[in-house]
Amino acid sequence: MARYAMLIDLTRCIGCDACTVACKQENGTPLDTFFARVLNIETGKYPHVKRLYVPVLCNHCEDAPCLKACPNKAIFRRQDGIVLLDQERCRGTGACVSACPYGNIILHRDEEDWYLNEDEPYERDFVKPRIREGVARKCTYCAHRVDEGLKPACVVACPTTARIFGDTEDPESEISEYIEAERHRGRETFKLLPEAGTKPGGMYLGPMSDQEVSTLGGRAEVEVFIPDDSVPYTEWDHVKEASK
Amino acid sequence: MVRTTDSPNCTGACGWLATVVDDVIIDLKPAADYPCEAYNPRGCLRGMSMTHMIYGPDRVKKPLIRTGARGEGKWREASWDEALDYVAEHMKRITAEHGADHMLLFNQVVGTGYLQKGAQVRMAAALGMSFATAYDFNGDISMGFTHTVGIDCVECETKSWAEAKYAILWSSNVFQTRIPDAKFLTKHAKQENGCKIVCIDPRCSQTAKGADLWIPISPGTDGAMALAMCYTVIEEGLVDWDFLRTFTDVTTFVRSDNGLRLRAADLGLGSDAEFVVWDEASKDWFVLPSDSLVLPEGLKPAFRGERTVKIGGQDVVCKPVYQILEDTIMREEYRPEHVAKVCDVPAATIRQVALEYATTRPASIVIGMGLNHRLHGDLTIRAVLLLASLVGAHGKPGESVSIYSGQHHFRLDVSSWWFPDGIRPKPCPMHYFVLGGPTETINPKIKYPKDGFKALFCSHANPLVTEFSDLIKETIDKLDLFCVFEFSMSPTADYADVVFPCPTFWEKQELVGTSCHPYLQIQQEVVPPQYDSKTEFWIVNELMRRVSPELHDRYFGISEEEALRMLLENGGKECSGITLEQLRAGPVRLNVHDPECGCDDQFHDMKPFPPRAYPFPEGANKEFVKTGRMEFYKEEEVFGKLGERVPVYKPAFSHLPDDGQAMPLCVVTPHSKWRVHSTHSNNPVLLNLNRKAVVEINPTDADVRGIRDGDTVEIFNHFGSFKLWALVTETIKPGVLCIDHGWWDRYLAGGKYHSVHTHQKVKPTHENYYLPAVYAPGQHWKDTRVDIRKVVNAGRAKRGALVTSGGE
Repeated sequence: MARYAMLIDLTRCIGCDACTVACKQENGTPLDTFFARVLNIETGKYPHVKRLYVPVLCNHCEDAPCLKACPNKAIFRRQDGIVLLDQERCRGTGACVSACPYGNIILHRDEEDWYLNEDEPYERDFVKPRIREGVARKCTYCAHRVDEGLKPACVVACPTTARIFGDTEDPESEISEYIEAERHRGRETFKLLPEAGTKPGGMYLGPMSDQEVSTLGGRAEVEVFIPDDSVPYTEWDHVKEASK
Repeated sequence: MVRTTDSPNCTGACGWLATVVDDVIIDLKPAADYPCEAYNPRGCLRGMSMTHMIYGPDRVKKPLIRTGARGEGKWREASWDEALDYVAEHMKRITAEHGADHMLLFNQVVGTGYLQKGAQVRMAAALGMSFATAYDFNGDISMGFTHTVGIDCVECETKSWAEAKYAILWSSNVFQTRIPDAKFLTKHAKQENGCKIVCIDPRCSQTAKGADLWIPISPGTDGAMALAMCYTVIEEGLVDWDFLRTFTDVTTFVRSDNGLRLRAADLGLGSDAEFVVWDEASKDWFVLPSDSLVLPEGLKPAFRGERTVKIGGQDVVCKPVYQILEDTIMREEYRPEHVAKVCDVPAATIRQVALEYATTRPASIVIGMGLNHRLHGDLTIRAVLLLASLVGAHGKPGESVSIYSGQHHFRLDVSSWWFPDGIRPKPCPMHYFVLGGPTETINPKIKYPKDGFKALFCSHANPLVTEFSDLIKETIDKLDLFCVFEFSMSPTADYADVVFPCPTFWEKQELVGTSCHPYLQIQQEVVPPQYDSKTEFWIVNELMRRVSPELHDRYFGISEEEALRMLLENGGKECSGITLEQLRAGPVRLNVHDPECGCDDQFHDMKPFPPRAYPFPEGANKEFVKTGRMEFYKEEEVFGKLGERVPVYKPAFSHLPDDGQAMPLCVVTPHSKWRVHSTHSNNPVLLNLNRKAVVEINPTDADVRGIRDGDTVEIFNHFGSFKLWALVTETIKPGVLCIDHGWWDRYLAGGKYHSVHTHQKVKPTHENYYLPAVYAPGQHWKDTRVDIRKVVNAGRAKRGALVTSGGE
């Protein structure tokens, strides 16, 4: 049986949000709805500060709490591990939103806002008709593309190929081989919030090294630069000018 | 589905597959079809969200003629005939009353589109108009490169980064500005190759995230650090003498009587254009070959030691350039322990990075505009180039000094299409338009029109969202005609007399090249020009038909297709053999080295410097480096007057008036991933992710001013002020503020973004020669100093309202 999963290598990721936008375009999501997000995290105090970009999306958990929480049975898990939310069955209760420990399900109960003027055919004819209002939404691993043998939009759009998608049950899949190869280099994958116990399909490889910082720790001031006039280094006036 | 490429000013020139249904573009995905697999995929969030610009709310749909005062926003929609007639009448009148040279064309990054932008230049040439190369005005011209190698910038193809084992990103924020190329650092260089990445930047930028070592340097002091690294390299005996004697001028001699270089003619050994070195082997002078960098075996040019020669009967003492450099650098002021306090970087770090850079091979440096957008940015870059030359780190895969600002660079010779019958428009740097007239030191090759400019044509450009917008507006106010070609109602279009609606990159054909990668590509008309827009090619044709039917028939009686073929057939060695049919099938690699390492003709093929500067003839830039080698000594008097004959360090803010220097904070203005300059400022999808204009401020600076995260704040100095929102962050050095460049004023909390910037100034060493966009004045807008205060009673932005896509 297949088990589709997403591996994100944080050594490769540059936090560029190409995934965010590719997803938005592929899935035609309204204003303020982002299935694929990039958390921009900073930790520490200057100068010992670190930045970390963590792309997040629905983890398509094996033990998905959203699925159990839905009173309308709108959420189901396919044989290949992809967890889907049926727009037609969803009644917008928001139970799944509360149940997801990762905050990756989005529900706007009010009328959706959009980006373009109402008479633009692009949104009017090709984007808006694809969604029902007032229902919960989340990443589908682009199941419609996967079913065609394609990779999810965020994966093909990632300019650093930081997102590896595939079947972890198949030892010869790209994702399995990647995990194996990096394991040999001493890098182990990890999952977010393992304590939530949902057996997420999303996994990560961390940054390859810790960042060093080097500074005297001062402020940027108008600097005092003392030219060295004590030692005449040349007897030539025209060259001496060059030291001013 | 249509395979195409875009051509914005990031100049990524990424290949796309566009899905079109009923003439609507509904999807854009990276084409990922570059023959070199490492380049796949190319693309970023900006390119992908172009649908929201193509169909965006600010799209200019009809020709517009102003009815109110300039900038008042009162327009009437006009037919094309009416708008074209209106502009053509003005053009004819200005030509009759003053001359065609009183009309100025300013179109941006001409290197990204040879056909459409070329059509505009062809019109300017045919009519005898003036032409302002945008590149120098952007400040991206890197005069430090021109002074050293004779061309304004050098870059390797980004694939070459993959080979590096050591990479210094010197104020370069490639993770935001070169998104499609960043993989060569993260995936290839680092993950596969174990490359160590050093990031020198006052802020822990997105790129610093990927660095092994982050050095938060004090802004503007990079030149001091580079020279201190040179100090270390010399002190440790790590100089690559073979590289220096082959590729640089350091073995040539300088005369003590006039500061000029010793010529073969001075010694009766050759011409005035030939230079000599002292051969330790034969104990005699040797005349350097002018047609090659190859030196005879056994030649041992002297690097040190004065020699006295007889010139015109007089004894003249001469000294090799290397000795002058060493005497300049090996002094207390450039000792790392001294420079440490200046840069706020530990001496041990300066030494460590210098040693690692000198001894790890291959080692790359990528320079960002934080170094260059300064009055003394030329000196800084000369110092960095000297550092790389001392250790011979040029011209090999993974080993170069690159500055990806050279995006105007032509990948082929466009002269056949741009300059009909060899006629060129009259060049005039935009600086003089903005200053309202020439400087005293203006280069005599520049003919500033006698009555001042009367008309300005702006295309692909948004100069009213730059640091000198006020000055530009003052100059525009004196014009009879301000005509803008645009697809989006930008602040510049908003100030125009006439706006011609143009197509986006997705609605017209174009021939596209870039410095980032060596693939030539065709941009296709994925959908027809939308609304009532027309291509630049069409508009220029119609203007020519009205202004001069005779010149129209002579120069514009050809189709776009014929013009494309003309460009390809006459493009020179780089594109010889490449056909339109091949390009329509996909990207084609130019006839260049693989990988391109920068200055391949020199470092690989041993031809003398400078590299050819397209679209100028071979030799047009020869006088910038007369020795035919990389020059670290500039003999021209104008350098002597400024004390800049050799790379030295000058404090960045020393040229500001006292009240400017008294301002407590520096401000850096990086490009952000949300925009390409000011393009995409109004992209609704990207605004949904990047919601407010913020200033990054360190908590220590915020606390003393009572500023909290999200507060409305005012940036001010003696020039002006503007308001935006505070983002209090530990990722920025105390004493430095950071505001992304390119925000349109309407997104601020008040005031004008550019109002605080230091005033225009031109350095005389940028005027002693002139070649458009190669040797021309640069810019210095990062030398601004400011203060910041909380705006009382202005309310606060909600937590998380400043940035999104997760937030904290």
